Amino acid sequence: MPLLKIDNAELEVESGITVLQAATANRIEIPHYCYHPALETVGSCRMCIVQIEGMPKLQVSCNTFVGEAPPDKKIDEKYDMVVHTQTELVKQGRKNVLEFLLLNHPLDCPVCDQAGECFLQDYAFKFGNAHSRFEEEKRVRPSEYLGSQIVINQNRCIMCTRCVRFTRQISGTGELFVQKRGYDFKISALEDQPLDNLLAGNVTDICPVGALLSTDYIHKNRIWNLHEQPSVCQDCSVGCNINVFYQKDRIFRVSPRENHDANGYFICDIGRYGFHRFEEIERMTSPMRRDEEELTEIQWDEAIKVVAKNLSDAKEKIVFVASPFHTNETNFMLGRFQKGFFGALPLIEEEGITYPSGFSINSDRSPNHRGMNDVCPSILEDMASEIDQQNIKVMYILDDGVDRELDQEWKEILMKMDFVVVQSYALTEVAESAHIILPGLAPFEREGTVTNDQGRVQWLRPSLPLKGKARPDWRIIMEVVNTMGKQELSYSDVGEILAEMGKCFPAYEGVSLFRLGDYGLSINGKVKSS
Amino acid sequence: MSDFQPILTEHIHQKECHTLSFYISVGGYSALEKVLAMSADDVIELVKASNLRGRGGAGFPAGVKWSFIPQDGEKPKYLINNADESEPGTFKDRLLINKTPHQILEGMIIASYAIGCNTAFIYIRGEFFKEYQLLEKVVAEAYEGNFLGKGILGSDYDLDVVIHRGAGAYICGEETGLIESLEGKRGWPRIKPPFPAIEGYLKCPTVVNNVETLSNLPHIINRGPEWFKSIGPEKGPGPKLFCVSGNVNSPGVFEEPMGIPLKDLIFDLAGGIKDGNELKAVFPGGSSSAILTAEEALSVNMDFDSLAEIKTMLGSAGVIVMDEKVDMVQACLNIARFYAHESCGQCTPCREGTAWLVKILTRITSGDGNSNDIDMILEITDNIGGLIDFSKGSFGKTICPFGEAVAWPVRSFVEKFENNFRQYISQEESVT
Ligand SMILES: Cc1cc2nc3c(=O)[nH]c(=O)nc-3n(C[C@H](O)[C@H](O)[C@H](O)COP(=O)(O)O)c2cc1C
Ligand code: SF4
Ligand code: SF4
Ligand code: SF4
Ligand code: FES
Repeated sequence: MPLLKIDNAELEVESGITVLQAATANRIEIPHYCYHPALETVGSCRMCIVQIEGMPKLQVSCNTFVGEAPPDKKIDEKYDMVVHTQTELVKQGRKNVLEFLLLNHPLDCPVCDQAGECFLQDYAFKFGNAHSRFEEEKRVRPSEYLGSQIVINQNRCIMCTRCVRFTRQISGTGELFVQKRGYDFKISALEDQPLDNLLAGNVTDICPVGALLSTDYIHKNRIWNLHEQPSVCQDCSVGCNINVFYQKDRIFRVSPRENHDANGYFICDIGRYGFHRFEEIERMTSPMRRDEEELTEIQWDEAIKVVAKNLSDAKEKIVFVASPFHTNETNFMLGRFQKGFFGALPLIEEEGITYPSGFSINSDRSPNHRGMNDVCPSILEDMASEIDQQNIKVMYILDDGVDRELDQEWKEILMKMDFVVVQSYALTEVAESAHIILPGLAPFEREGTVTNDQGRVQWLRPSLPLKGKARPDWRIIMEVVNTMGKQELSYSDVGEILAEMGKCFPAYEGVSLFRLGDYGLSINGKVKSS
Repeated sequence: MSDFQPILTEHIHQKECHTLSFYISVGGYSALEKVLAMSADDVIELVKASNLRGRGGAGFPAGVKWSFIPQDGEKPKYLINNADESEPGTFKDRLLINKTPHQILEGMIIASYAIGCNTAFIYIRGEFFKEYQLLEKVVAEAYEGNFLGKGILGSDYDLDVVIHRGAGAYICGEETGLIESLEGKRGWPRIKPPFPAIEGYLKCPTVVNNVETLSNLPHIINRGPEWFKSIGPEKGPGPKLFCVSGNVNSPGVFEEPMGIPLKDLIFDLAGGIKDGNELKAVFPGGSSSAILTAEEALSVNMDFDSLAEIKTMLGSAGVIVMDEKVDMVQACLNIARFYAHESCGQCTPCREGTAWLVKILTRITSGDGNSNDIDMILEITDNIGGLIDFSKGSFGKTICPFGEAVAWPVRSFVEKFENNFRQYISQEESVT
């Protein structure tokens, strides 16, 4: 492996990687704009320049490759390459590039949504000149819509072409292009094909400045007011890693979090904007009992007692309905009822898409189908006929949530029941059929683990506080089980349930929240040994 | 006039000199026959030995460029004939296409054979429509005569030639911009590495050579590298087409040996300065070269190394002559405008810097200049393209040498004719 020296750091790196990659991997900052690891290198912004010993001119680090030097060409008899990122020449070179980039920039950081996470602002502050020498008129052009949710502020664009390359190389949809030439350039969308593909929102993340903005976020908040919670998308079985940006009890933005074992760099717009559908719903905040047509609030104690009694009376003629929308821990807890039948509603499926870059949106729009099957007692294939044969009249349902629509078969099944318990966060179609509703948590309130279709277990972390009298779903089940009196379960958090789960299901043995961390673990490789 | 016997343009005054039958009647395609009996390596060695350097602008040795093509790989190899000729003041390739197209084609077949290419392209400037039509005919004739196609002249060598028209961008003359354009994309120069010899057209090994470079090949094959080296300076020898334009009495293309004094070109061949005016300045190699003062012009020889010595270049050999009446500030603005308009706009320094230069120069010419402007222009040109050795390619501040192509001339105007700029500025400053 070549021995590379960057400033004072000695690095052994893989042959063939670039100086910029080597630096980034070792936390040495080389400012750059046009390079993005998911996109082909163009080398056009010229910001990433460095000085390399033996080369007379500054080089762009994004396109300078490290290789083994022949023995007589080694520097100081051992280095294959010696790179400087902080010499006067480099600093001046960056200043010059920044000066060019800022010539026509409006310098409107105070009203820019990118402020606080803008590489132009950051680099200008760190590496640029204090004042401008530019006396001429600036290039001023109006903002435009590139798609129904993406606006471009042309004046802020630095023409790094990341967005254009994204639509060509990642989504493969090619809506964006550079219009006109040179100084008159303009990023545009094709007239008959606006930027409306399901990956479009990613361009707002990869734009290094505040030029591309999502109308969903424009002027709604400032980044420094928001908390950032690493979590996992719950809108399909890919399980993209995300950051949720929230303030108090409101989410403002969801953006992708890099994980090369799950989603790579990006997420889809279903997951990006999906949080909105939980904003408008009427949240279930108290246990409810149905008396004739009326739903009335009842106390938790009473609700749990009624449920426990009815379940006990049913003498194991009960169907427990697990849910791929719930965490492993909640589904595992459902299994603690032990005696009865286990089933699930049909999968919620929509069109799956695989993009040329390999990024996909799965047709299974639940986050935890694989995990549910892993941690529940075996789930009946044909529940309807089982219910008829066994003459089952009691059902305990973990609700899939607001996306669930009931088909005719299921409506009929539910009508036949004498007693239905639904654990839900809203008055869904399923909850409407309940005799008792136990208020659990909504998706962004839940904590636990989910297992994606590739067998990767990931840590779903909550960003919103629970509402009213709602309780974590696993805790509700635990209380019902305990009240039925045959077991005494005493888990105090999801970590403890996870540990117990590992004892029952060897694939999960050794999985802990600590080990899952930000990026998760694959259960295909038998997690156990740590 | 000159007693040099033209080689590339020997027959251009003859009737029907562009036809296959004429070309054959003067010994055309005899070099090809010789080449087909040689090994490809021997052809490359022979061209290397001739010291033939590229006529497209950079002056890179042709044989050396060919030898970079990997000979073992699976990928097809391509030759591209760069007929985009769009450097201001340059009109030699056009003459060759019109008068001696089969000479070009023979050169292409020789080069293709040497690098092991079976499909070659002619990328022709979009505005050259008549020339394009002519080339279509010429290529068809060559197929008929079995100089192209399968089993050329009974050998087992196959070659197809495809003509592609450009769409009117200067930057498509830059070899990697040209390749992108040929692939049907926007003509944006590519970052190097990889170099075209490794990954060019469709990511396959590719050689790009200029029309004039290729035209020399049949003669080198027929008469040998020693003969070629005997014409002009040994390190960059051969016959050379010079395009003389501007304030001269008889502008035109002149074929002379490399190294001819610039003075002879202007005063003997092109008939001297118009209207008896004084010579003021000369671009020796198109508008991308640093401009020369009259004094420099009167003493320099027109070859790669002599011009490099005085920090300019032979470039495309587009000699643009300016007399005492020319306003150097306006001329500089004109040049800057051309480059600002033609910058492909990828690179920050080139896109923003060229436009900035135009803004400053416009302000100066409209009487709003100030004394900082001169230093500012010099600094901006440095930040677009530092002064480096053009022949070593672009290791500068931009993806392609266009950055230098702006920086060189603009900087040279300001440095060499600073007084003209000062006059504009002091007039203004004395008014205010
Ligand atoms: C901005 C720019 C424009 C160019 N235009 C041309 C052109 O019109 N014709 C040409 O032959 N070479 C042109 N070149 C040079 C080519 O990049 C390339 O070096 C040349 O075609 C190689 O051929 P040669 O080695 O035979 O000279 C241009 C270079 C630059 C940087
Ligand atoms: S809009 Fe953003 S990503 Fe696109 S070219 Fe401009 S700066 Fe780059
Ligand atoms: S692909 Fe699936 S997991 Fe990823 S963001 Fe979209 S819906 Fe969420
Ligand atoms: S130097 Fe200018 S013309 Fe060349 S690639 Fe960069 S922007 Fe385009
Ligand atoms: S990041 Fe290297 S040139 Fe833009």
